[in-house]
Amino acid sequence: MDDLKREAGLAWRDRTVRWSVLGLLVLSLLALGTGWADVAEQRTTLSELKARVDVERAAAIDGQSDAGGAAYYAFHLTYSPPSALAFAAQGVRDVLPYKHRMRMLALEGQIYETDSQNVELSSIGRLDFAFVVAVILPLFLILVLHDLRASEARAGRFTLLCATSPDGAALFWRRAAVRTLFLITVALVPFVVAALVSGAALPGIAVVIGVLIGHALLWLILSNWLASRIQHGATVLTVLLGLWLLSAVAVPAVGKQVVENAVALPNGGELLLLQRETVNAAWDRTKQETMDPFIKAHPQWADYAEVSRPFEWKWYYAFQWLGDDRAAALSTELREGVSQRHRLMGFVAWLSPTLLTERLMARAADTDIPAYQRYENCVRAFHTSLREFHYPMLFGAIEYSEAAMARLPDYAPCDS
Amino acid sequence: MLSAPRRIAREEWRFWRRSKLMLAASVVVVFLVITALITTTGRISSEQTQRREMQTIAEDTFKSQPARHPHRMVHYGHYVFRTPTPLAAIDPGVDAYAGTVMFLEGHRQNSAVFSPFYTAAQTPHLAQLTPARAYLLLLPLVLILAGYASVTRERAAHTDRMLLMSDLTPGAIVLGKVLAMLQLTGVLLIPLAGALIVLVVKGACPIASSILFIGFALYLAVWSLLTVAVSRFASNASRAVLVLLSLWVGLGLILPAASARLATTITPTHGKIETDLDVVSALKDKGDGHNANDPAFEKIRTNLLTQYNVETVEELPVNIRGIVAEAAEAEQAVIMSEFAEDHWSEERAQAVTARQLGWLSPALAMRAVSMIMVGTDIDQHHQFQRDAEASRLEFVQALNRLQAEGITYADDISRSNDRAAEKRTRVDASNWQRLRTFELKPPPVFARMGAAAPYFAMLTLWLIAVTVVLMRSARTLGHDHG
Repeated sequence: MDDLKREAGLAWRDRTVRWSVLGLLVLSLLALGTGWADVAEQRTTLSELKARVDVERAAAIDGQSDAGGAAYYAFHLTYSPPSALAFAAQGVRDVLPYKHRMRMLALEGQIYETDSQNVELSSIGRLDFAFVVAVILPLFLILVLHDLRASEARAGRFTLLCATSPDGAALFWRRAAVRTLFLITVALVPFVVAALVSGAALPGIAVVIGVLIGHALLWLILSNWLASRIQHGATVLTVLLGLWLLSAVAVPAVGKQVVENAVALPNGGELLLLQRETVNAAWDRTKQETMDPFIKAHPQWADYAEVSRPFEWKWYYAFQWLGDDRAAALSTELREGVSQRHRLMGFVAWLSPTLLTERLMARAADTDIPAYQRYENCVRAFHTSLREFHYPMLFGAIEYSEAAMARLPDYAPCDS
Repeated sequence: MLSAPRRIAREEWRFWRRSKLMLAASVVVVFLVITALITTTGRISSEQTQRREMQTIAEDTFKSQPARHPHRMVHYGHYVFRTPTPLAAIDPGVDAYAGTVMFLEGHRQNSAVFSPFYTAAQTPHLAQLTPARAYLLLLPLVLILAGYASVTRERAAHTDRMLLMSDLTPGAIVLGKVLAMLQLTGVLLIPLAGALIVLVVKGACPIASSILFIGFALYLAVWSLLTVAVSRFASNASRAVLVLLSLWVGLGLILPAASARLATTITPTHGKIETDLDVVSALKDKGDGHNANDPAFEKIRTNLLTQYNVETVEELPVNIRGIVAEAAEAEQAVIMSEFAEDHWSEERAQAVTARQLGWLSPALAMRAVSMIMVGTDIDQHHQFQRDAEASRLEFVQALNRLQAEGITYADDISRSNDRAAEKRTRVDASNWQRLRTFELKPPPVFARMGAAAPYFAMLTLWLIAVTVVLMRSARTLGHDHG
């Protein structure tokens, strides 16, 4: 114990250690603070938007005399609120949408709308806690640990130190561990405080803690092992930097290329064109050509399917559905492909601790691709519930009335 | 006989050639640079082909529509695709994050959807390796590894004094080290030069390409000089490399990431949904262009009746429905564009705020120069949306005009119940041929040069600052052995 205390004191006297600890502390606080502010802003924006869209929806329905008009003019806000840990890992939330203003028209024409942030800023990348842990933390460790042995050797103390230490070269493991502990602490403590204040669930917090410590230990072992095999400090540094480059840049970059080549995806533009063609073609075709496939999929409306006038809302919504139905194969292929790419990158992550760390943190924070896809499914489910709500009125099984409209489904975020 | 600095530089090269470490580092980085060049060029050119093909398909589809009521075509709509500029292969910039396709229809301004990011395999941000990013981040690392010990090495071996006792001046020694570093920079710029030449042959703008090249040369020169300067001031090699790496992490990784954060805090923007809601309320009392009897269009009606000197709209030689649709569309477009322009200027202000940190980080300054010269900065993304809107308004208004002049009012109002009238309201399919081909062009090169000038100034200032520091320090070389 005294040994450790002495080592801690020694480490603290090292200028590089002090600066690194301070630097990492500042960065962690900055990343957590801005992440926190971001999430708070997302929550405010969502609640403001929700209120505005609700007022707008009520006003839109107010003036309507039939279900078709009500469904046409009523917009709904769908959204995925940030999780309690979202402040730590932004994931894909700054680029992929987490909120939509949508209505009962063909969903494929609406779901790809993005209320995205400034694309030039997105292309710079963001300073979030996951970035600090995955990318910056190893660099600090490398700076602090690479020269531990070599510097003593240069000062001519290496042999003496090993000889006088009760456990020989293990002394350097202890020294390295103490320095690593310093760095882990300044990153971890602010995070844990923030996570507890934000009310995150313990398993999620535990994952982030585990990832942070695991990632730090990995670089501790790598640095110290290399330092024990290579005498020259600068060489150790170069090799470690090379490994860092491999992990943060080369492996994921090559992996991305391989995965994207392996899993081909349909073109989004094609999907949109197909959807539009189907929806618009209905105007040039007989009503029967729209209603038949609709009734086949919704046999419960067979008795109400007669369309006698040139324009009837039920026919209009039938071809909206048909547009989605025709695009469904491409749309499913697209989503499955994206999810497949994400899964395969999971294998690449075993070769890149940086990627692995980012993935695990985004998963804990519920800000990764699967979380986005769960939100998308939630929107799809809501759209279905809208259709199921309106069909009885559109097809005339129920009379359109204010009382009936009072039961209009309200979007609620799905549990993750 | 070579001049003194050139002899020093030659020695430096000899040292590098003997260093296995230097060799390994260069091989790794050059491999990454070339990988970046090949993969990005491949990706961008396949994106270009794909989006161009889709654009052609979209245009052909529109033109091959059967005879229809013009307003049906307004809602049938059209698609435009954003094709990356030829130089985007060097720096795709916002391309990966911005929507690639936009649906154009009457009465609405849609947003661009399907950014390449949407379907990309997700990696850490750093791993989105592009040639620009390789030159911004990886090559400075090579320069640091090559030069961090350039002066400290002499001092550690006390050869600096020996050099000074010969016929060398301190300035010549530092100049020699700088010369070697600049020669190395020149070598490292070869792959970029090669790629640019290929792109120019394929049709990229030669002026923009040259300026881009000069920008990267300036940027790497800053790092070369900075490396020698730090090596000059550091007490030993390990201190020098620590300082340089900290600078690299701070200037290359942390400040850029922080700049994005800073910008969103200082200059917040309104989101798309928020803006849409604002547009909805601004348009609320503007009248529905589908309804020629909407009281909002009373004035148009009276004016038309006076102009043609008739009593009723039925007697007009033009179809008032088309006229009203045209007027309503024009009025809406003005309002929607005002909101859009506001939103874009907010976004632009945000991007400019982030770029101001370029005074502190040459990497950020160079990033801005590169995106602007290539034409993949935020402005180009806005320009796409502006061009798309112009294209939308053009075809929608042409269709409205067609409704006003090609169809009689009597047919237009009775088409729901009268089959013959309905048939007469379908205008000939040849009219759809008039759709203009959509092509997004990068802004003129002089405009881009103007936009990039402030960031060039930042780079130049960095270069001057580092040069001055280095020159002043050279004079005292050899005095600090204590």
